[in-house]
Amino acid sequence: MSLSPDGRIARANKRMSDKTGYGRDELVGMPFQTLLSVPSRIFYETNISPLLRMQGFVDEVAMDLRTNDGKPVPCLVNVAERRDADGSLLFTDVVVLRAVERRRYERDLVRKRDASRRELDAAAETAQLREQFVAVLGHDLRNPLASISSGIRLLSQREDLSERGQTVVSLMAGSVLRASELVDNVLDFARGRLGGGITLSRNADGPLGPVLEQVVAEIQSVNSGRVIDSKIDLDENIDCDRVRIGQMLSNLLGNAITHGASDQPIEVRALSDAGLFVLEVANGGAPIDDAARRKLFQPFFRGEVRPNSTGLGLGLHIASEIAKAHGGQIDVTSDTQATRFRFEMPLVVAQS
Amino acid sequence: MGILERNNVNLRGLGERSMVFAHGFGCDQNMWRMVAPAFENNFRTVLFDHVGAGGSDLSAYNAQRYASLDAYADDLVELGRDLELAGAVFVGHSVSAMIGVLASLKAPGMFADLVLVSPSARYIDDHGYRGGFSRADIDELLASLDDNHLGWSNMMAPVIMGNPDRPELGEELTNSFCRTDTVIARQFAEVTFLSDNRKDLASVAARTLVIQCRDDAIAPVEVGEHVRDSITGSEMVLLEATGHCPNLSAPDQVIAAIRAFV
Repeated sequence: MSLSPDGRIARANKRMSDKTGYGRDELVGMPFQTLLSVPSRIFYETNISPLLRMQGFVDEVAMDLRTNDGKPVPCLVNVAERRDADGSLLFTDVVVLRAVERRRYERDLVRKRDASRRELDAAAETAQLREQFVAVLGHDLRNPLASISSGIRLLSQREDLSERGQTVVSLMAGSVLRASELVDNVLDFARGRLGGGITLSRNADGPLGPVLEQVVAEIQSVNSGRVIDSKIDLDENIDCDRVRIGQMLSNLLGNAITHGASDQPIEVRALSDAGLFVLEVANGGAPIDDAARRKLFQPFFRGEVRPNSTGLGLGLHIASEIAKAHGGQIDVTSDTQATRFRFEMPLVVAQS
Repeated sequence: MGILERNNVNLRGLGERSMVFAHGFGCDQNMWRMVAPAFENNFRTVLFDHVGAGGSDLSAYNAQRYASLDAYADDLVELGRDLELAGAVFVGHSVSAMIGVLASLKAPGMFADLVLVSPSARYIDDHGYRGGFSRADIDELLASLDDNHLGWSNMMAPVIMGNPDRPELGEELTNSFCRTDTVIARQFAEVTFLSDNRKDLASVAARTLVIQCRDDAIAPVEVGEHVRDSITGSEMVLLEATGHCPNLSAPDQVIAAIRAFV
């Protein structure tokens, strides 16, 4: 079909006539819009027509034609302008393809897309609720754990315990420490998922060394069978969140205890040198393979499941999040000699 | 983000006095590409996209706020204040004609002259008033937007597949005109075609010119005449042009009419 510059039909083929129910002679002289449903007419005028003027053609637009008895016919339409050498509009060529099945299929796709979007929204909402629940539960578990912990301290310091009693109390202390670590990690993870991320309160107001030594001592005390060789050599205060760096060491050490060979010592090194703060934890045992190493810091990664392995697989993930929050990172090297986690962060941080 | 970024404002021209061009439903400031440059020697031309259209900040769109033409008029007033407009010329096409009318009432003095291109104060017929559409027509439009998103999105942002004849007209060019978000367009259609601004016309104090096409399927001649008759002292120029967008189909006539008026 061709339209004159005034938008009236100048020429139409037999197929146009068949599609619309109008005779070919009836079509000639008819404004093109007469053949369109009202929505298609509005969009032809407000969108298609401007586009035609600007780029000379519009392809594959969905429109509804209206037959002479008012029935809509879903179509796909290509439109192109023909202009003379001076740029004056001669004709607008319109190719109309019936697209009943295609348009029905498209509508079906849209319905399905809308349905899956609704399902996805609902699932996301449930997930959000679940994470809030985890966050609240984790938070509420801290208080009873703190009470148990001070109860244990009271028993071991003030009470005259039998040797057996001391062993039990020490085991209990280990369990409480482990439980607290798990709760902290779960809580941090849930907060991260809820958009809070790892929050830092960083400053250089106090020494980091004693905090790290305390972490080593706590873990040593509940893992008396393991050798932890710790060299913490920090002359200056480090601008960091000391509690968080302590949590990171605790997570790295926990990982070394769980996965390292129990008959080989665990090495802890902390130092500041050449503008960097470095914290290393190394253990012996079988090296980590490449596939596992790539996933190490992903949440819920637990390596090969061993009978004695516990935990959710959040420790290394949280440790790496703490590293990132400090503008640093954790790298892993692993061979038959040792598996070594090395945290590095720049000491001078640009004020932002 | 400032108002100038939010509305993708483009300033050109050398003149002291400002001439603001506002696009209608279905397109963006590209609508004025054949008209606005003619005024750059004597005016500072201000082109912008309504929030939700073209290069505007889509994140600034919010369905509650943009539930009536008032929000678009408020945006225009904010933009005018930001540019310290006083006694400026406003040129608005289609639904933006009424947005300009509302803005001129909200901020008296900002616009001394209103040029309303293909305006309609109400699209739906009413007692003693012919708007060109029945309520059923507009319901059909809105329903088709509801149940045929993919069709509309094709319609709103046509996908131009490989076009061997014109490699220069790739996707980039196609998508650079009249970009419209489908969901936003759905609401803008509702706000536009259900609007009724007939009562506002009597209060217009700015000098007003109506530019009307002889053959317009969206805003027929009598709709333009109603706007002219309702705004005291306004005049109308009837163009020998077809369609709803003379700014593209008959830019020379539009330029001549605006020039003669200002």
